[in-house]
Amino acid sequence: MIISIDKKELAEAVNSVSRFAERRSTTLPILAGIVIVAGDDGIKLRATNLETGIDRKISGTIKESGVVALPATTFREITASFSGTGTVTLEHGGDTLVISSGTGRSTLKTLSYEDFPILPFPEATTVKFSIQGAQLRNLITTVAACASTSTVRPELASIFFSSEGGTIKAVATDSFRLSEKKLTVSGNTSPFSLLIPAKNILDVVQTLPDEMIEVRSDDHQCAFSCPSMMITTRLVTTSYPDYTQIIPKSFIAEATVLRKDLEASLRRSAVFSDSFQKVRVGFSTGDKKVSISAHNNDVGDSSEALTSAVSGESIELSFNHRYLTAPLSLITTESITLSASGIGRPLVIRGVGDETYLYLVMPMNQ
Amino acid sequence: MDKNSPHELWEYVLTQVELSISPANFNTWFRDGSVVKIEDGIVYVGVPSQFFRDWYLRKFNTLLLKIIRSVSYEYRNIEYQIVKDDRRKTKEIRRVSRPTVELPLDDFYINKSDNLNPRYTFESFVIGSFNELAFAAAQAAIHRPGITYNPLFVYGDTGRGKTHLIQAIGNQYKKLYPTRKVFYLTSEKFAVDYSDSLQAGTANRFKDKYRQYDLLIMDDIQFLSKKEKTQEELFHLFNALYDNNKQIIFSSDRAPVAISDIAERLKGRLASGMTIDIGEPDHESRIAIVRKKVAAHGITLSDEVTEYIATAVAGSIRELEGVINSIVCHTQVKGIPPDIAEVRQSLRSFSRPQKTVSVKHVVSKIAEFYGIDEESIYEKTRRREVVRPRQVIMYILREDFSVSYPTIGNKLGGRDHTTVIHSCEKVKREVGSDTELAKEIQDIRTLLV
Repeated sequence: MIISIDKKELAEAVNSVSRFAERRSTTLPILAGIVIVAGDDGIKLRATNLETGIDRKISGTIKESGVVALPATTFREITASFSGTGTVTLEHGGDTLVISSGTGRSTLKTLSYEDFPILPFPEATTVKFSIQGAQLRNLITTVAACASTSTVRPELASIFFSSEGGTIKAVATDSFRLSEKKLTVSGNTSPFSLLIPAKNILDVVQTLPDEMIEVRSDDHQCAFSCPSMMITTRLVTTSYPDYTQIIPKSFIAEATVLRKDLEASLRRSAVFSDSFQKVRVGFSTGDKKVSISAHNNDVGDSSEALTSAVSGESIELSFNHRYLTAPLSLITTESITLSASGIGRPLVIRGVGDETYLYLVMPMNQ
Repeated sequence: MDKNSPHELWEYVLTQVELSISPANFNTWFRDGSVVKIEDGIVYVGVPSQFFRDWYLRKFNTLLLKIIRSVSYEYRNIEYQIVKDDRRKTKEIRRVSRPTVELPLDDFYINKSDNLNPRYTFESFVIGSFNELAFAAAQAAIHRPGITYNPLFVYGDTGRGKTHLIQAIGNQYKKLYPTRKVFYLTSEKFAVDYSDSLQAGTANRFKDKYRQYDLLIMDDIQFLSKKEKTQEELFHLFNALYDNNKQIIFSSDRAPVAISDIAERLKGRLASGMTIDIGEPDHESRIAIVRKKVAAHGITLSDEVTEYIATAVAGSIRELEGVINSIVCHTQVKGIPPDIAEVRQSLRSFSRPQKTVSVKHVVSKIAEFYGIDEESIYEKTRRREVVRPRQVIMYILREDFSVSYPTIGNKLGGRDHTTVIHSCEKVKREVGSDTELAKEIQDIRTLLV
C-alpha cells in the first residue's frame, strides 16, 4: 500500500478515530489499532473497541491499494507531532509501515489486520431520523454528566434518547439526580426511543461533524452517518424507568436567583462542606432570601444569604454541593429558579424562561 | 456431562475453544458468552452485541459446531442471540452508603398505565380445592364483566394468592378487551392519591381519573379502616362505577363484615356482589404449587423432595416461594437440583429460627393445648388421650427443635430412643393424610413461637 495524505487532515482524522480504539491492553491487540484501508472507495480509517466502531473517509491519493493496521496510540502521537503543511506518504511493506513527510522518515511496526472485527451496522432499521450534529452534541453533552458511572444498572449508565411530537429529548440519571434536555425540531420526526451507553454516545458526539447526521438503528445497534464517516454503537436493551413520574408536579417553595450569585456562593460554601460534601440551602419567605450554609468540624462554617424572589413556605434542605453546581454551567439564562417539593423530595432547577432544560436533584437525609 | 444443561455445555465448549485459539482472542470473544438454551437440537449461544454475533458467525461457527457435535450428534445447529443486558451478570457489586436519598426509580418499572405486574397470570396460577371457587368467580367476572359478580370480593389470609388472582384477572382482561381500561392499585395508594389531590387542589381530576376505568382492582382494602374521608370517596367512586356496570374487584385479609372501622354503607356495598374466601391450600395443592414454581425456573425436583417441601414448609404460599427460590439459587450455583438431604438441611436453617428450647416448656404448652395433665406425659401410662399428645411432643421436639432421639426419650420419662423414633415416624406419616392432625400441629407451632 502506498498513499499520500494531507498532514493536517491525517492528524485530525487519526486523532478522532483513535478515540474508538481500545485503551485497555488486556484484550485482542488489534482492538488497540487503527486499520487503514486504501481501495476503490478511497482511503478509510477504522477502529473499534467492540462497544463502538468508526469508519472514516479521508481524502488523499492512492498509488497502490492495500490494508494495514497500526497501533493507535503510536500512530496518533506521530501524526500529532507533524508540523507545517504539505503531505505525508505512507508506504506499507512486509510488517512495517514507512511514514515519510518532507524531511522526516519513520518506520512503524504494523499489526496483523486479519483479526479486525466487522463493524456491525443496523440490519433491519426500525428507527431512522436526521439531526444536526451540533444539536445532537448539545443535547447529549448537556445531560451526560448525570449518567451513572457504575455498570451495575446498565440503563442508568445510559442516556435515554427519545422523540415524540416534534420534540427530541435526552435524559440521564444516576438515581441521585436527573437531567433532561429538550429540542424542538421542525418537520415530523416519527417517535422513537433509544437507550445508548453514556460513555459510547459521548465519544460519538465528540467525533461527529456539525453537519446533518443520519441516525439509523435496530434493536441492538445504532449507526450515525454522514458523507465523511459512519459511527456505530451498541444499544442497551433493558427498559428505562418512567422518570416523568418522579418530576414533582407541585412545589411548596420557589426561589429565583441570579445564576452567577448562586454559583459564586456555592463555590465559597463548598470549602466548608463536610466529608459528605453537604451544604444546606434554605428558602426563607419572610426576608426573601435564599441562604447557603455549610459546616465542617475541622474547617469551620460559613453562611450566605442571596437576595431573591421567594414564594411558598420556608424550608431548608441539604445537598451534595457538586450536584448543585453541576447544572449551573449548563444553564444559559441569567437567572434560575429553584423549586422545592418538600423535605426528602426532589428539588428542581431550571433557567428562567428556558423550558428546554430541567435538572432534578435529591436532597440528603437531614 | 448433562447434555441438556446449557451451563455445562458452555463450560465444555470453553475448555475446548481455549485450546484452539490465542488467549487474547479467547478473552475478548468468549468471556461474555453463554449458552442460553438448547431447543430441538439447536444450541442458542448468547452474545453481548452484534459485534460478537457477526464475528462468531464468521470466525468461530465451524469451530463451535465441531465442538458441540463431538459432545452429541443431537445438536444440529448453533444460533447466536444478542442477550439483554439484564441477563448478563454484572461483576461489580458496589454499594457505597451515600447520604443522598435515591430517586424512587425502582418503583416505576411496572406497566404504568394499569399498574399491573405482568408476572401474575392465570398460567402461573395453581388451582386447587382451596381456591377453585375463587378461580371460577374470577373467570365469570372476566367473561361477563360488570354483570355476574359485581363487585367481586376476594379475601383470605396473607400469602394465599389473592394478589396473584386479582392481578391475573386484570392481565387476562387486558388481553381479552384491549380497548378497555384496567387499573390496579392498593387501597393505601388510593388513600395517598386522594390526600395528595386534596393538597394540590385537584380533587376533581382525581375523581375523573378513577371514574374512567372499565375494571378497577383494589388490593388490601382493610387498610382503609379509620380513613373516613377516603372511604367516602371510595363510596362515591363505587357508586359511579357500579351504576355504569363497570367491574370492581376488591381483596382483603378478612371478610367485609369483619373489617373494623369502616362505614356501614361501604361495608354493605363491598359485600353486595360475590364474596369468596381463599382457604388454606391442601397438601395436593401445595405439591402442585411447588411443581409449578420450580418448573417455571426450568428445574425438575424428585417427587420425594417436592413432597418433603410441601409438607415441611408450613404457612403461606409466600414462605413456600421463599424456599423454592433458595432451591433455585442452589441449583443455579451447583448446576444440579438439591437432593432430599440438602433440602432438609437448608430448610432447617430457613423456615424457623433455630431455638434452644426447654423440653418442659414444650410439654406444658402441648399438654395445655390438649387439656391434659402435664404430669401424665412423663408417666408410663398408655391411655389414648395421653399417647397421642406424647407422640406429638416427640415429633415437634424432633422436627422443629432437632433434639436427639435419646434425649427426647430420656426427658420424657426415660423412654427408649426406638420408641421415640417410632412415634415420630408415626406422626409424620399421619400428618400427610390426617388433616385434623396437621391442623393441630400447626396450631401448636403457633403456640410455641
